[in-house]
Order: sequence, then C-alpha cells, then structure tokens
Amino acid sequence: MSECIVVTSGKGGVGKTTTTANLGVALALNGKKVAVIDADIGLRNLDVILGLENRIVYDLVHVIEGECKLRQALIRDKRAEGLFLLPAAQTRDKNAVTPQQMRDLIAKLKEDFDYILVDCPAGIEQGFKNAVAGADRAIIVTTPEVSAIRDADRIIGMVEAAELPEPELIINRFRAKMVEAGDMMNKDDILEILAIPLLGIVPDHEDIIVSANRGRPVVFDETSIVGEAYRRVARRVLGEKDVPEVVFETEPGAWKTFLRWMGLAPARGMAG
Amino acid sequence: MKDLINRFLGRTNKNSKDEAKQRLKFLLIHDQVDLTPGQLEAMKTEILEVIARYVEVEDLEGTEFKLERGDGHVALVSTVPVRRVVQRAQAS
Repeated sequence: MSECIVVTSGKGGVGKTTTTANLGVALALNGKKVAVIDADIGLRNLDVILGLENRIVYDLVHVIEGECKLRQALIRDKRAEGLFLLPAAQTRDKNAVTPQQMRDLIAKLKEDFDYILVDCPAGIEQGFKNAVAGADRAIIVTTPEVSAIRDADRIIGMVEAAELPEPELIINRFRAKMVEAGDMMNKDDILEILAIPLLGIVPDHEDIIVSANRGRPVVFDETSIVGEAYRRVARRVLGEKDVPEVVFETEPGAWKTFLRWMGLAPARGMAG
Repeated sequence: MKDLINRFLGRTNKNSKDEAKQRLKFLLIHDQVDLTPGQLEAMKTEILEVIARYVEVEDLEGTEFKLERGDGHVALVSTVPVRRVVQRAQAS
C-alpha cells in the first residue's frame, strides 16, 4: 500500500522543505521506496536542500506537459537507497499545473513507491491546491511563534475542507532553554490551540544550517540530535507507537560533548 | 579514522559556509540562463559530437564548459583541446 503525504504550513520559512527532505531520507533509510516532489513551481528549493541541484535535467512541468517520461525526471539519491526527487520547474508559475494533473501524477507514482512526499509551497492559492490534490494525509509544520501558529490554524481548516483526514503537527525550531525560561510556548500550549495530534518536536539547532550549506540532510548524521528527532518522526509516520521525543538537554556534560565531537557518542535522547 | 585524525588536527573538511557560497554562485548562474547543470552537460555532449566531426579532440577530460557571470551577461566559456584537424571526407 502506498501513501501520499503533503507537508504544508501556510506560513513560509518554518521548515517545510527541510522537513520533507529529512523525512524522505529517513523513510528511505528505513527501507521504503520514497519519491519527494517539490510542488513549489517557480521557486524550487528541495533540490538544494537535498544537494541534488546539479543533477536536474527535467522537472515536474516537463513530466506533466509530456516532454519527458516520469522516470527520466526522477533523480535518484545515491546516498539513500530508494529515494527519488521530482524537482519543480524554476521558470514557470503555479498555474502551469492543475490539481487533476497532480492527482494523475501521484496515482502513477503510487505504482512504484511506498511513500510520496509533496513539499507544498507557502500560501493558500493555486500551489497549495495542487500540492494537496493527490494527498492521502497532511503534515503541518509550525514553529512556536504567533504568526506561524495562526497560519497553521488556517491551513488545518483548508486541509479538512479538502476532505483529507485530520492532519498531524510537527513543531519545528523548538528551543528548550527559552521554553524553560517561559519565553517560548511549550508543546501543550501549541497543542491546546491547534488541537491536532503531534507527530514530533524538532529542536532548533546549528546542525540544520550546516546541513543546508552542504546539501546533506541532517538525518544522515547519526550523532545529530536534530537528525534523531527526524528519525523518530519517520518511525511515527511508519506507524510505530509510543516513540518518545528526544530530550532537549540545554547543557550537555563536558564528557558527552567531547564524545560527540569525536563522533563516538550516539545522539542524545531517551525518554522525554 | 582518517576523519578522526583530521578533526584532531583541526583539518575538518572545507567550511560549510564556503561550500554554501560556491553552490549558490553556481545556482544563480544557472537560474539566470535557465539551463540546469544537467542540460548544460547534455549540451556539452552534443557540441563535442559536432566538433569531433571536424577535428580530433584531445581527450574529453580536458574539455571544459562553464558559464561565467560578467557585467549583466552570462558567457558560455569552453576549452576544447584539439589534436589535429580530421582529414576525412565530409559527409554532407
């Protein structure tokens, strides 16, 4: 059985693309066959986050307009067996694709893939409608900020209006120190407002910036706590129950820091 | 192990910010001409096929095709080492 999941948020810049890339890699590392689609036509970015930008020849619009075969446009990620990227067109606009064309495309991809992840563009217009068109379920990404949560709430309504099941939430850029100090909304605050199931909490961490610089999603890094957070999100997507959140130690001990620096210690995080 | 030794000596890989900048420059050029690296590669292959009909190309490793950003324009700069002109009948 294969499933299409749209990753959306309403607000831009909360980490949809990073989430799509890391979840895609993590699912593939779990042995699944995964296609990630960049639905942000005109402003493609998923290729860059995955570090596959040099390998693009054809894109989503070429496939839809019949200029190439679907197989020709899918870029295989050599680092993660089973992972393929379908890049967005960079020089077209959102109206180059219709929701029906997306549904047809996803139906075709389902013949070959276990999971199809759609990276939705920001906003609520045509791009959003295209991205949700073929989806079976939705993941909403938000950050613990008023503006992001407000937009997430709006998007939850739109996902439900599109007759998808209740979406699940990823809280991104979580800063444990600020939460402890009472300067950032905590998990319960956010869940109370949005009232949808939580899929995971991802800490705000420098590793994300370095991984974006290098075009190498952080889940590849076994010692990274953010990587571990995404691996746990993937396990939950795969249906595993009671996967604990990673612990957000604000100040790890000196020895642990040293081991991590040596690359000898596993990522922190047990029960939480 | 090599990684570990390099880390001790402070010889980590290239800074990630330099890598970011390099990738970005490349991307911007390709965005400007609306040619992906993959398409550029395809063009390079086709151009070389044409060139090889007239001259003997030294070796494919030595050829270079790149896009460079100048003042308000992008230039395709190519270097193709030629061994000699092919003296065969031109089929046309």
